[in-house]
Amino acid sequence: MRLSCQQEDLHRGLSAVARAIPARTTLPITQHILLEAQDGAITLSATDAETIAITYRIEAEIEEPGSITMPSRLLSDFIATLPHDKISMSLAERSRQVNLSCARNTASIGGMDPDDFPPIPPVGDAGTVRMDADRLRRAITQTVFSAATDDSRPVLTGVHFAISDKQMRLAAADGFRLSVHTMDLDEETEERAIIVPARALGELGRLLGEATEGAVSMTFNQANTQVQFDLGHAKLMAQLIQGTFPNYEQLIPNQTTTQTVVLVKDFIRETRIASIFARDGSGIVRLIATPGEGGEPGRLTIIARAEEVGDNEGELDAVVEGDEAKIAFNGRYLTDVLQVVDVDRVAVETTSPSSPGVIRPIGDERFVHVVMPMFVQW
Amino acid sequence: MADTTPTLPRRIAHFDLDSFFVAVERARDPSLLGKPVLVGGYGRRGVVATASYEARQFGCHSAQPMAVALRLCPQAIVVPANFEAYQETSKRFHVILADASPVVESGGIDEAYVDLTGIGPVEDGARAAAVEVRRRTREELHCPVSVCIAGSRTTAKTGSDQAKPDGLIEVPVGGDAAFLAPLDIGLLPLVGPKLADGLRRVGVRTVGQAAKLDPKWLEQQFGRAGQMLAERARGIDPTPVRAGGRPNRSISREVTFGTDVTDPAELRQVLRRHAERVGADLRRANRRARTVTLKLRWDDFTTLTRSHTLDRPAQSTPALLEAGVALLDGIFREHGVRPVRLIGLGATNLVEDQLQLALEDAAGGGPLRDERLDGVLDAIRSKFGDASVRRGTGTRAKPR
Repeated sequence: MRLSCQQEDLHRGLSAVARAIPARTTLPITQHILLEAQDGAITLSATDAETIAITYRIEAEIEEPGSITMPSRLLSDFIATLPHDKISMSLAERSRQVNLSCARNTASIGGMDPDDFPPIPPVGDAGTVRMDADRLRRAITQTVFSAATDDSRPVLTGVHFAISDKQMRLAAADGFRLSVHTMDLDEETEERAIIVPARALGELGRLLGEATEGAVSMTFNQANTQVQFDLGHAKLMAQLIQGTFPNYEQLIPNQTTTQTVVLVKDFIRETRIASIFARDGSGIVRLIATPGEGGEPGRLTIIARAEEVGDNEGELDAVVEGDEAKIAFNGRYLTDVLQVVDVDRVAVETTSPSSPGVIRPIGDERFVHVVMPMFVQW
Repeated sequence: MADTTPTLPRRIAHFDLDSFFVAVERARDPSLLGKPVLVGGYGRRGVVATASYEARQFGCHSAQPMAVALRLCPQAIVVPANFEAYQETSKRFHVILADASPVVESGGIDEAYVDLTGIGPVEDGARAAAVEVRRRTREELHCPVSVCIAGSRTTAKTGSDQAKPDGLIEVPVGGDAAFLAPLDIGLLPLVGPKLADGLRRVGVRTVGQAAKLDPKWLEQQFGRAGQMLAERARGIDPTPVRAGGRPNRSISREVTFGTDVTDPAELRQVLRRHAERVGADLRRANRRARTVTLKLRWDDFTTLTRSHTLDRPAQSTPALLEAGVALLDGIFREHGVRPVRLIGLGATNLVEDQLQLALEDAAGGGPLRDERLDGVLDAIRSKFGDASVRRGTGTRAKPR
């Protein structure tokens, strides 16, 4: 193997695939990245050999094709620090030493046999759905944060995809909150439901973040156990989570007694301020919605109290329809959802201090978020 | 920005009512004055809650089996504990304290820290306030109270013990270390029997000797406790007095049976009553328990405790009971069914009454439903008594 490529390209590729590498492993080779050089490109691959694999192709001048694995951490840190210049790489087949040179720096890194690298099985072709990359990225961003991070209910660590007609609905819930995003598909598609690990989707979101244009194709295998997202230059394979995702539709209240519409940027700022004061307690942020009267505008009051520390109260203009309402939320749950709303205003819909709150972006029917309140002494 | 407020010398007082239960009983029945009195359970397995100073001279003390105390002092008069009266007097005592300073931290039914910093003139304002509290407590409640005024909580607490009975000690400003120095190391509130033993083994008997030791060495030897001891022994304790008192750390109920009980169904019934009472206390105190603890003593006096940490902090009777029964079943699985002498249920790791609701609660079930029912039951019981109403268990007691 003998080749040359640009530092920026290799750095970008290594950072993309390195995220598949497990933090802890019993299989040392999963700490390595596989490099395969042929046909004017290097294909970089990394996998945890269990749930996720990422491959990434970069342009290169290949003088002699070949392949090798190299330790991810050493290689990534080294390449990241080099100047933006041409990198030359050559492999001594017998010793598996890779010599790298860039500008006036040279290095030698010991590799391992590429045949020992865990095989990344091709995902069959039991069906493919093509979609717009940017739409998918938004759908992922608006749902993935609601997935559970602890393993007590494995299905909740994933995002549920329900595909039917020309729609794909993504849903995630961690037991305390639920995010649902419905995206349009351009083509008619077979009905299907799968649960994709949130971790893999987070990485996919990052890969999609690089390019806002283009299409993604999503391919399933026959047994419905794997999915592959193909972005063209990059591919992400994920093992699906098996199990039954809770029936979440019934958790979205269809009637609420108070609707409060506020500007997102003001609401997020006041919630952040309140959260600073709420930090010492349980992060509790109290909301009081007061309807306008006699020409006065309505308002939303955001309150945090911390015993022995102090308290904070912020106020926003709001359009409040319905009864006066008070409800308390974990401040982080509020900022989490407000951060992913990409319109100017949201409606906060509530019924009682112990009933679910609903957050809907105004003028964007695709997204809905349900968040359970904190029960507090008022 | 520099703090330009002139700093007043800290004056912390610790008030401690002398043999409180006995004092209340004597206020109710003056014929008990001057006689050896034991307050506590009468039965075969009763325990002394408080012994009067007259009874203490015979070797009686609290937590002693009543039978032992009566052997030591057969002429003692035994009075059953009357907790409602003690609560009532304690409440009035705290009102007197609140008149002396806005910063009162209750340390329990019969003691409290009071921050007297800046009360009255700098030279003798704290002392005058303490004298007034003592006068009012004596005249209005007929209870003697001992007090120590010092520069820190540690010194005040240690000193109020030294002031007993019915005394007042004022440690001069800056004199905390000198006051503590000659005292036995075991008298410091921070030093438990284990730490005291460890210190005595290396030849440390007094607080002054501990103060001379290298703080680093103390920390290495005794960890966090050693590190704190290094400061406290020098009279340094910046812990503030917190108005309102520290929240309860635990709430529990236990019962010692007159005759050992082997029937698991009967033990579960007792747990149910414990869970009702512990739950009611939690709800009254606006607290939730993260952890439920079961205590069991076999007929041979070996005692087991088992705890279970709940997924979500609870205060409802069913949640406490469920955890308690699961722990009991676990012990029986582990040790087999044996005669039980004592069974107790405790709520520990208490947190404020706040709860993140879950999506599955939204359907109307969940902990809040149980808690609403508990609230109704609490209200009925407070009006008509403990036995007036009870949750249905769905099972009948086994006929004997």
